[in-house]
Amino acid sequence: MKFFNDLPPMDHFRSENMSLVQLIMPVESAQHAVSYLGELGLLQFKDLNGDKSPFQRTFVNQVKRCSEMSRKLRFFADQISKAGVTTYPNPDSEEVIDLEQLEAGRFLGSAQNHLVMAETELVENTYSIKNEDRLSLLEQSMQPEPSKKAGLRFISGIICKSKELIFERMLFRATRGNMFFNQAPAGEQVMDPVSGEMVHKTVFVVFFSGDQARSKILKICQAFGANCYPVPEENNKQKQLTHEVSLRLSELEATLDAGTCHRNKALASIGSQLWNWTIMVKKEKSVYDTLNMLNFDVTKKCLVGEGWCPTFAKPQIKEALHQATIHSNSQVGIIFHDMDSSESPPTYFRTNRFTNAFQEIVDAYGVARFQEANPAVYSVITFPFLFAVMFGDWGHGLCLLFGSLVLILREKKLGSQKLGSFMEIAFGGRYVLLLMAFFSIYCGLIYNEFFSIPFYIFGESAYKCRSTDCSDAQTAGLIKFRDPYPFGVDPKWRGSRSELPFLNSLKMKMSILLGVCQMNLGIILSYFDAKFHGNPLDIQYQFIPQIIFLNSLFGYLALLIVIKWCTGSQADLYHVMIYMFLDPFGNLGENQLFWGQKELQMLLLILAVVAVPWMLFPKPFILKKQHTERFQGRTYGFLGTSEMDLDHEPDSARHQHQEDFNFSEIFVHQMIHSIEFVLGAVSNTASYLRLWALSLAHSELSTVFYEKLLLLAWGYDSIIIRIAGLAVFAFATTFILLMMETLSAFLHALRLHWVEFMNKFYHGDGYKFKPFSFKALADEED
Amino acid sequence: MGFMATSIIFFAAGLIASLLVRLCFNRGASTNLFHLTLIITATVCCWMMWAIVYLAQLKPLIVPILSEAE
Repeated sequence: MKFFNDLPPMDHFRSENMSLVQLIMPVESAQHAVSYLGELGLLQFKDLNGDKSPFQRTFVNQVKRCSEMSRKLRFFADQISKAGVTTYPNPDSEEVIDLEQLEAGRFLGSAQNHLVMAETELVENTYSIKNEDRLSLLEQSMQPEPSKKAGLRFISGIICKSKELIFERMLFRATRGNMFFNQAPAGEQVMDPVSGEMVHKTVFVVFFSGDQARSKILKICQAFGANCYPVPEENNKQKQLTHEVSLRLSELEATLDAGTCHRNKALASIGSQLWNWTIMVKKEKSVYDTLNMLNFDVTKKCLVGEGWCPTFAKPQIKEALHQATIHSNSQVGIIFHDMDSSESPPTYFRTNRFTNAFQEIVDAYGVARFQEANPAVYSVITFPFLFAVMFGDWGHGLCLLFGSLVLILREKKLGSQKLGSFMEIAFGGRYVLLLMAFFSIYCGLIYNEFFSIPFYIFGESAYKCRSTDCSDAQTAGLIKFRDPYPFGVDPKWRGSRSELPFLNSLKMKMSILLGVCQMNLGIILSYFDAKFHGNPLDIQYQFIPQIIFLNSLFGYLALLIVIKWCTGSQADLYHVMIYMFLDPFGNLGENQLFWGQKELQMLLLILAVVAVPWMLFPKPFILKKQHTERFQGRTYGFLGTSEMDLDHEPDSARHQHQEDFNFSEIFVHQMIHSIEFVLGAVSNTASYLRLWALSLAHSELSTVFYEKLLLLAWGYDSIIIRIAGLAVFAFATTFILLMMETLSAFLHALRLHWVEFMNKFYHGDGYKFKPFSFKALADEED
Repeated sequence: MGFMATSIIFFAAGLIASLLVRLCFNRGASTNLFHLTLIITATVCCWMMWAIVYLAQLKPLIVPILSEAE
């Protein structure tokens, strides 16, 4: 034990030491200070104005201004993308742009916008007129004697193609069928002024008689957004109209071109600055949001703020505050000092890009309590290892290795560009994939499976035929004539009839052994936690009975498995374990594995039975005794803080907990914990059998694909069938084995860690350290 | 090779790996301890996997019975 005390603290094992600090800043240097702290990104501000609404805070006007500005910038970005202007963001121009300059730009933008809207309407108009032109041609062909049809009148117009059918039906119903409708497509797409998109339009003409019908039709046209244009009946007038229309059209097109050109130039000039402006405005807004969290001490003309920071970062923060004081030409320095706190600090792990993925896997289950043992330290190795136990095939492992190496070698390039959601997950977990690949190759060599084909890499098989002609190889089988195969499963097993009984027995026992080891590791971590937090009760009344209970039952089972393997006994372990409970005094007979087994079993059973009340009863009663000793005579609770300082400290740091000891609650909690452990010991051990199940599934799938796809296709002589078989085999291997099985094994290994391993010691009810950082803002934006 | 000999080989491999990591990635006492933990965990996991499979084949209760197509 002393050896463990002498070791230095391990990286990543417990979260960083945090301090609650208080900053007192004069108003003139406040904005600079917060800005520099944002660049540093190591201080998490506490919201001291949590009970105020957003409109009651000090800097609400500035925040509003920033929001307005960012809205305008977004509008610009929209316009730029609609106009199709490509902009080249200029990262070199680091000039600090004033907010006024942005206002001027906005004005120009809005003027442009009006012009653009007017232009689009004109364009629509011109196209409609142009189409009326065509419609008049249409009319001509249908109406040979316009003068004769005295009462017959018509309305012509243009409508969206999508609404055309409903429009026609509506007209039919409104005029009770007394109308004639004709339509022709308008040809090119027209820009719809309402939506700003290009839509197909149809030119139509409606023939009707009577005034009422006319008004009805006009109303329907209006409702459907169809534009009606008058078309004269005589030929000359039509020609004149066409001429006029084309003139107007060419004029307008010229105006349009000039306008678009001007607009695009303006947008391009803005566009190169747009990215910088957006970032700047975002930063300003976040600085003001943070300033809103500080208390404005009116009497002292300065801002008071509180926050959490890692203890190692205090010199850096002091330096940043010093810089802020210098740059803002303030006379008074910023005061920065520690405060005591009774609430629990946030959890912060300094991860690098390798350990980051594993820490996130653990955090997904629950962020560690402050300075609790971090399971990620062991998960870095055990998670890929358990994955590999379920995935063991060194051919597939090589494919995973190739994929992960591609991701890692192109790290810089892929890290800077925006990836799709699936690729982002894969890229984030590239180091996890790498380790999973290495362990898969190792387990594949042990299971002796290369796309389900065994190899004789490590020497000759240990089995041979009984007689030289191998006559009884299919009935009695081979015999083992020398030492076991030195590394992994003997290749002679593959394809034999007794392969599955042997492998199933091996893998099931392997799962139990691995499970018992991992659960013991979890309980041992709870010991180190209890020692670190100075909690002897937990050690004596939780750790020791838990270890005794788990090992006297399942540790003993693991021991029996190993002894049975070493001695080659034919004992039935199911029988031994069950009758250990049902008939502890009975004779073991042929299930005896070693001398003294019956007595040992009785001892272990007694230990297990004693351990259950040991973890259940003493702790609540001792806690109660400790509580009454500590608060002797004080049966009423505290009234609040008794020491009043002259300068009013913010009351966030002075919570006094009501020492409310509810014995029944503690007892029930302990009972739940104990029952969970006792029942969990059985269920968790059985849960590890999924290692066997998935590994069997993987092996069977790859066998089926190999035998029934590749070998079957290779049996034919035709090259086409062979290539087709190879292609289907590759397809099936990639999608089913490499993707689906990877995800499946990943999920189950994750579950084994989250539930079976971490429920032995992990609380996971902390909160993560989220410092005020501009880098984090940029990440959030993406 | 026997069980003990190969176990000693695993142990030696773990020692060599931890020495190499200490030489190449020496970054302070706490980080060294972290690396050592990783190496020890990996060595123990790999050794256990090998040992389980080896012991299971030491004195087998069933033997391979070849199938018809052999």
